[in-house]
Amino acid sequence: GVFAHLAMLEAQAHEAAVKQEEKEQQEEKLARLKARVQELRAQRDELRAKVDQQQKGQLGKEGVVSDPAQPSARAVVEWNIKRIKAMLQVFYLTGISGKLTKRGVCFCISTAYEGTYLGSYHLDLLTKPEEVQIHRHSIPIFIPLEQIATKYLQTDIRRFLAVLSDHLNAYVGRRYQADQLQEHFSNQIEGTLQRNSLCNLLVFNYNVSKKSQTFPFNARLLYGDLCCSLPTEVIVSCTPDAPASLAARAAAHSDAFRRVALHKAFRSFGSAAES
Amino acid sequence: MDNGIFQVYEDEIQSLEEEVKLLTEKYEDSQQESTFFSDEEILMSIKSFQREFQGESKGHESPSDLKAQLESLEKDLSFLMKFTGIQFTSHSKKTVEKTRDRTVGKHRLSGHCYSVSFQLEFQLLEMQNKENVSAVITDLSIIMESGEDSDVSKFVSSTEERGNLLTFFRSLSSYAEWYEHRRFTFLHFK
Repeated sequence: GVFAHLAMLEAQAHEAAVKQEEKEQQEEKLARLKARVQELRAQRDELRAKVDQQQKGQLGKEGVVSDPAQPSARAVVEWNIKRIKAMLQVFYLTGISGKLTKRGVCFCISTAYEGTYLGSYHLDLLTKPEEVQIHRHSIPIFIPLEQIATKYLQTDIRRFLAVLSDHLNAYVGRRYQADQLQEHFSNQIEGTLQRNSLCNLLVFNYNVSKKSQTFPFNARLLYGDLCCSLPTEVIVSCTPDAPASLAARAAAHSDAFRRVALHKAFRSFGSAAES
Repeated sequence: MDNGIFQVYEDEIQSLEEEVKLLTEKYEDSQQESTFFSDEEILMSIKSFQREFQGESKGHESPSDLKAQLESLEKDLSFLMKFTGIQFTSHSKKTVEKTRDRTVGKHRLSGHCYSVSFQLEFQLLEMQNKENVSAVITDLSIIMESGEDSDVSKFVSSTEERGNLLTFFRSLSSYAEWYEHRRFTFLHFK
């Protein structure tokens, strides 16, 4: 009756109010988003103009350009801070960089293979009055850090770091070559390359043709000198049922592995096979 | 009102924010790289900076914080140059390309290691992928003082070919130390 009718009208009104509120909220949100877009577009356009102005200014005169307004003292100090930070980054590229700490120095040994930088290792040294101590480090366990430290750390820190750097760079170089081989020649290698953590022993079966389904060659590379990224011992053998012409190549392969980087040697096999 | 329209605006906002960030970095890099202040200007600024802005903060670092930061960085740099023997006498950098995941900079560097001086130019490509930043050297060009020595020039050209900047510095260090030792030995016998 009347009661039910009233209840229904109340419910309808309530629903309408909720819908109205929702609509207003959404319109508000849309307006906010639109305003933000305008704000950002204006910022972006202003910056684009500034950057273009800079480019034009620089094309005009080579070398020193200073702000038309006299730079504030704060700006000069901040400029200098950035300049020194940039110079410290260059030290990273030289292989040995670091930071002074309250109780000594934290050295950073960077590694690279040819032009590619491959990460860095840290060594936190405490330089107490009597002796130098290694407080913390991120040197992998298979690098003979203790041996090197025993020999050089107390008498010649520079030499200690140089020898450690040689070990680390050689390790990283061997690992990089193996990774490159696995990545770029995976269809010429049977399964995955077998290697130890120090990457100074590599064993793998391979072929020289991308189309072949068999892997007649077996290579065993031993890197006896831990500071070197070329092997000291190479044994390349061929399966007995392989054609003689193929087996004859084993010696040439062995020679290549001894002289050039692993992935570069493989590249040269590829071009030789095609000729 | 469907959510599709919100997404459109939100996507544009995100893309604009990235662009603004990149442009700001480009602008600041360019300012930094084209400005030069002499040592006297720097010293004067440090002095006047502390006097003028005593107590001002406004969301910036305080003058004493900046000064402390500057001193700490100078100490680190001075230590490294003394320890490694590598003294850089000038360094200039120009950012030639900057996108969200790639930065290419052209560097010019000169200096000496003990009495052996060098001048370098190279390009440094830095790429940001999911886990880390990678750095690659290209277009490496090296001029060394003792360049007439045939061993040195062979070393320099093979280093340049492979972009082997790190090896260059490591070898420079030991070569310069050896050279210095030899120099002193000869002087001793004069």
